[in-house]
Amino acid sequence: MFVSIKWLGRHVDLTGIAPEDLARELTLRTAEVEGCEPFAPHLGAITVGLVRERVAHPDADRLSVCTVEIGAEEPLTIVCGAPNVRAGLKVAVATVGTVLPGDFKIKKAKIRGQASSGMICSLAELDLGADHDGIWELPEEAPVGSDLASALGLEDWVLEIDNKSLTHRPDLWGHRGLAREVAAIFGRPLLPLDTSIPACGAGPPPQVTIEESAAELCPRYLALALDGVRVEPSPLWLRCLLAAAGQRPLDLLVDLSNFVMLDLGQPNHLFDRAAVADGIEVRRAAAAEEMVTLDEGRHTLGSEDLLICSGQRPVALAGVMGGADSKVAPETRELLLEVANFHGTTVRRTAMRTGLRSESSARFEKNLDGELVPAAAGHLVRTLLSIQPEVTLPSPPMDVGVYATPDLSVELSPEMVRERLGVELDDNHISTSLASLGFDITAANGVYSVGVPSWRATKDISIAEDLVEEVGRLHGYDNIPPRPLVGELTPPLHDARRTLVEALQDRLAGGARFHEVLGYSFLHAELCERLGICDQPHVRLVNPVAEGEDRVRRSVLPSLLGRLEINRRQRERVAIFEIGKGYLPEEPGDRGQPREIHELGLAWSVPPSDKGAAFDDGAFSRLAGVMEDLLAQLGFGCASFVGLAPDAGRPAWAHPGRGALCSLADGTAVGFIAELEPGLHRPLGLMDDLVSDVACATLSLDALLAAEKPAFRPRKLPRFPETKVDVALACPAAMPAGDLAAMIERAGKGLVGDLELFDLYRGANLPTGQKSLAWHLRLRAEDRTLGENDVARFLGRLERAAAAADCTLRRD
Amino acid sequence: MEAHAELRDEALARLAACTELAELRSVEKDYLGPEGAIGALLASIPSLPKEERPKVGAAANRLKKELEAGLDKARGELETARVAAERAGGDFDPSLPPRRAARGSLHPLTKVRREVERIFSSMGYDIADGPEVELDYYNFQALNIPVDHPSREMQDTFYCDEEHHLVMRTQTSPVQIRVMEQRQPPFRLIAPGRVFRNEEQDATHNHTFHQVEGLVVGEGIQVGHLTGTLKGFLAELFQRQVQVRLRPGYFPFVEPGFELDVACPFCDEKGGTCRVCKGVGWVEFCGCGLVHPEVLAAGFGGRDDVDLDKLTGFAFGFGLDRLVMLRYGLDDIRNLMGGDLRFLEQF
Repeated sequence: MFVSIKWLGRHVDLTGIAPEDLARELTLRTAEVEGCEPFAPHLGAITVGLVRERVAHPDADRLSVCTVEIGAEEPLTIVCGAPNVRAGLKVAVATVGTVLPGDFKIKKAKIRGQASSGMICSLAELDLGADHDGIWELPEEAPVGSDLASALGLEDWVLEIDNKSLTHRPDLWGHRGLAREVAAIFGRPLLPLDTSIPACGAGPPPQVTIEESAAELCPRYLALALDGVRVEPSPLWLRCLLAAAGQRPLDLLVDLSNFVMLDLGQPNHLFDRAAVADGIEVRRAAAAEEMVTLDEGRHTLGSEDLLICSGQRPVALAGVMGGADSKVAPETRELLLEVANFHGTTVRRTAMRTGLRSESSARFEKNLDGELVPAAAGHLVRTLLSIQPEVTLPSPPMDVGVYATPDLSVELSPEMVRERLGVELDDNHISTSLASLGFDITAANGVYSVGVPSWRATKDISIAEDLVEEVGRLHGYDNIPPRPLVGELTPPLHDARRTLVEALQDRLAGGARFHEVLGYSFLHAELCERLGICDQPHVRLVNPVAEGEDRVRRSVLPSLLGRLEINRRQRERVAIFEIGKGYLPEEPGDRGQPREIHELGLAWSVPPSDKGAAFDDGAFSRLAGVMEDLLAQLGFGCASFVGLAPDAGRPAWAHPGRGALCSLADGTAVGFIAELEPGLHRPLGLMDDLVSDVACATLSLDALLAAEKPAFRPRKLPRFPETKVDVALACPAAMPAGDLAAMIERAGKGLVGDLELFDLYRGANLPTGQKSLAWHLRLRAEDRTLGENDVARFLGRLERAAAAADCTLRRD
Repeated sequence: MEAHAELRDEALARLAACTELAELRSVEKDYLGPEGAIGALLASIPSLPKEERPKVGAAANRLKKELEAGLDKARGELETARVAAERAGGDFDPSLPPRRAARGSLHPLTKVRREVERIFSSMGYDIADGPEVELDYYNFQALNIPVDHPSREMQDTFYCDEEHHLVMRTQTSPVQIRVMEQRQPPFRLIAPGRVFRNEEQDATHNHTFHQVEGLVVGEGIQVGHLTGTLKGFLAELFQRQVQVRLRPGYFPFVEPGFELDVACPFCDEKGGTCRVCKGVGWVEFCGCGLVHPEVLAAGFGGRDDVDLDKLTGFAFGFGLDRLVMLRYGLDDIRNLMGGDLRFLEQF
């Protein structure tokens, strides 16, 4: 909202208060002032000129060549197209180099062969009116050569106030309400304003009925007839105030209506009385009822919308916009003034549904003070009479509705104010502060009964804490000394999940050299389609940020997959992870909320490995190594990776044959790891230059938190030296390496301290259908140094076990 | 010449010719090793005539000692020469680009969140969490945001069902109620987390962002405690005293409500052309206030173990993304969730 400081000055004496100080004090005590700028600085650059001579342009009928004196030694020659330019007229001159609104820079020009250095301006060109018919005729007394702003007293400052900081303060949506704050802040009186409706004629008052079902939606409606009004341009003072407040001046009636709205915060409407001759009826719209608004927009309404009608015909969409048919025309003389109080939410919803949010609806939706209804009517009429004294009021106003003046008072103990604010304010200070804002205080037995003024009673003030705020902000929150919190010292609650998350993050970003990313919770339909997960149950947004972005993720992994391509373009190795939440709507909680899961997702993407690469060079193996390290580091012991039966369920992104459950030593499944489904490489953009080996994994934090950790017993240093032995076992190609490892462990009878696969071989020198796995073993015993006999006996046992399992111990 | 004398001459000649450690090892092996010449000489003694045995034996032992000493000396000289050669350096170039160590990274939001958590944790705050898909009740109703409040309109809130029963939480404040329902005052906590608003996106607004909620409930909580706490936090975070100012702000779940501004950490309240504070000199940091009685009633109502009349509290909420941007001088919030490693790997 834009606020004119000059306008504020109509309600409170601002002598000696700099605009910047006013802006700062309002910010610190009332509402955030976002801007503080001089009004229309271009007016200061315009010079008052006198047209000395005007001759017709030799080559153009409508142009004149003027000699204009501007107080400089040489008068200017200016070509002007206005019909009203004439010798002896005082005019507004924009000299060469001046920049007018719309970033229009005045340059030296030749117009039809005549040099012109400057421009004689119209009100519209200076943003002070709508009339393009001619130049602005300045008053006689304007001194030639002085700047326009000071010559006409147009200097002003404009404050821009953040509307959001006024959400709860309907009383601050007009200059008088803000002036009340300024008066209280600076300890100056609020100047009186007569808003009574002047004496009226004795004619029959306007007819107004409010349909019963609309009584709550329109608690108060006042209609007042006006005769003898002329539609003409507004006086300069009014145009300037409106322009400063960001409202373009149009004609007197529109301007007056806006003036009252911006002054008191109460919207109002002027009808052509002929268009509402059948009287006013306020009612809910019928289902699918149509109406055309002032802006020629056609709207289909419903019973939640409130209409102002005359003879069944809608003439206004209540609080939002007037109808096209009842618009005041230039020749209109007889008007009907509407000032009403409408239900805030109804107006807001109608404005939103129809897309017609306006200055009027913005005010109504804050729930306005019903006392403003007659005040705004009186203020408008009195202002109109000051400009057109011949206007008459043929009949008394009609003021109807269920509205009753609120009688609200709140109990407040001054002690509570001191306790909550933490400042020693004396009783007198507290009551004076409240009184300066219009609160009515009655003290009894150390407790105040605080009467709430009508402009604060609609929603804003209802409990003692609200009054603490009033005293606190006037005192200045900045004047409250900060102090440390005092409390019992106990260790903060232990949060196992947070500890787990941090351990995972640190290990992954550290030793594993993964990058942490954060992905959106919303999945795009396109990605879901590529991944084939559209059919899974998802929490769905009713109003997504963009078409198709309406699924809330079940798992963090799809978000990671969507990030592979952009990163593979930049680098060969992409190793990323995210720890986040997923939502499963098919398992709703007691109040219908989806089950929340916490998950770690990992994705690893590298260029495909060479044909001859080592068996453990692939993405799966490397990622499995990361998972194994993570689980070991977290104290879950040794993880195992167990292949899935072909018909077992698996995530949509997983390769059907190259995946495994990740399990803890006790068999609890805590995660899943797989290469990427081959059909997804192309849809995910991993083709051509970006062909990649991709492995992904998920780890359930919920499963890990529920799992029992084996007790951690660090190994003692061996007392006797180890013996290193390498063995190679040939076995059927389908036999899992895990089975061979188990066979070695069994044959070792406890002597195998460590075993590491170092070669996997398929090909020549082996029978068809066989592979050979070679292992480094470390044998050790707790009680002795192992001798050659121990090794020989171990190899003998291994050879027999191998033979029994269709394998061969290879000896070179 | 006797055999052992020949052996001695040969061994000393070979020793003298050695220029490398490997040659010394071979000399050692050939003469002193298990199958070496001196061993063989000693082994031959029993087969010698009785009178020669002591002489040969003594000569062999002498030779053994002589060779061992010679080897040690030669080794010492070679080592001294090696060290001297190493020290001479050669064409070492420290400015050759080093081999790059591969690295991982934590997300900047994680880093700053941890810092925030560490500071509050050190001041005795617990850390709480709450669901991102939230019930309307917790996100709005219990926070004194009535059904017709503008912030509930469609353009701000993502709704998860037609009945508007479930929402993507628009703030971390619902955690306040969830914690009140479960705990016994006094307590203090922060609740960092992800929140969602259906707003226009630009360099400073994203539909998904992160907040840190703070809540202190107890008896005798005052406005000064709130400013004292936040000032202390900011001083620790920025590692210097930070000017703050408190001004009125409206949030339905606090009364009185404030906005806390921080003197711009980039231009130090000087304003001017600073692009961070846009010349104002102050940066909006958080919304805060004393907990509204309606909120305390919603969270603790109907419990015998809580006396609502005595209960007070303060709450605050600030944007973590904004703090990250302030911290690192970033100009586009969308980079945080963009997943581009060229940006993220720097942290």
